[in-house]
Amino acid sequence: MGMNGRLYRVTRDLHLYLGLFISPFVLVFAVSVFFLVHAWLPGAGGAASGRRTVTALLLPANLEELSGRPLVDALKPVMTYAQVAGEIGFVQRNPREHRLIVPVSVPGRVTTVTIDTQTREASVERRTTGLADALVVLHKAPGPHLVSIRMNWWCMRVWQWLADATVYVVLFLSVSGVYLWFALRAERLIGLLLLGAGAATFFGTVYALCH
Amino acid sequence: MPSATDSAARNASATGRGGLESLRAWNRKLHYYLGLYLLFFLWLFAFSGLLLNHSWKFAEFWDSRHQSTNQVAISLPPPGGDLAQARDLMRQLGVAGEIEWTRSRDKPERLDFRVSRPGHIVEVRADFANQRATLNRIDLNYWGITRILHTFTGVRLEDRRNERDWWLTTIWALAMDAVALGLVFLVASSLWMWFELRQKRRWGLVALSAGAVVCGLFCFGLRWLY
Repeated sequence: MGMNGRLYRVTRDLHLYLGLFISPFVLVFAVSVFFLVHAWLPGAGGAASGRRTVTALLLPANLEELSGRPLVDALKPVMTYAQVAGEIGFVQRNPREHRLIVPVSVPGRVTTVTIDTQTREASVERRTTGLADALVVLHKAPGPHLVSIRMNWWCMRVWQWLADATVYVVLFLSVSGVYLWFALRAERLIGLLLLGAGAATFFGTVYALCH
Repeated sequence: MPSATDSAARNASATGRGGLESLRAWNRKLHYYLGLYLLFFLWLFAFSGLLLNHSWKFAEFWDSRHQSTNQVAISLPPPGGDLAQARDLMRQLGVAGEIEWTRSRDKPERLDFRVSRPGHIVEVRADFANQRATLNRIDLNYWGITRILHTFTGVRLEDRRNERDWWLTTIWALAMDAVALGLVFLVASSLWMWFELRQKRRWGLVALSAGAVVCGLFCFGLRWLY
């Protein structure tokens, strides 16, 4: 077997196995596109699944003065004590009432923890947001916003790595797919026509949008 | 000697096999035809996804924006809703793009809105009493254009006030839908092609299962585990 034959077979096998591994992730990103493009979320709002109160919280003395990442880091042990796991989002403050409202999300669920810094109590309310919301959360994570506080839960840090891996594998699949197609002489002409049509559609639309 | 029924059954079976073969061949062809057609769209969304997830210095766009402000005389738009008046003003000002309502209209003689398209943002502040409009124009570089193309849908899940109102945004949203549908087809067709390869089934199943378990853990599993 020549070098070209070996390269072809190795590329074909990698295209197959990497494609199979990444296909569920590709489906997550593809299906969530419909929810994001049409601002439509089946089961939006979700069902609240009970409220509980946690008392005797151990809060850092300067909690109300903190912001950004230091605030998130200070809240982590509080969340562990309150048995609330997940990614801490943007914390709302109500200085008059000495309250912090902390959204904590796990794909498919949001827990709102309202901390009263004076009584050292917290009310914890869980809301199940469903699969569609989970897909949207995963699609948008980590995203461009709240750069200083995002990815503060280890599971979302793993997801960030997986989201990057999905992109790199998709880029590999597209390049290897072009190589595998080009090796099929009988399909070259129609393939080139489709590639050209795709390029014309893409650049034409982008040009019209931007100019 | 085979009966007429046997012969018909054989013919039907051969036709069925032929149909399946044809379907199999078309599945394969469509897999790479569609992949080739969508190639540039896939590259854009894949690459811009990386840009959105990483604050890479080389892809910085906001600090290097070009900003200009000018005042323009306007004629009063005919009475009507906010959208109709905004469209009339845009026609007068020679501005095109997706309208975004940035603040509520508290005075009838004022109309403030933002017009955006990938790479360009124009803030319009119209003063009907003085028949003048202030335009604050922001132009972004190619990195900014690339990032905005990824998210340019005209609507947001958490914002019910803004609706898609520019025909090119609708075209782009349809393109996003088409790419997503194309990806679903590429996945489905690849599963069929893999399943036809008997010698690749075992390791293919290992790869697919590994992907499904890890991905399923994030989609379904985390909320049960935590």
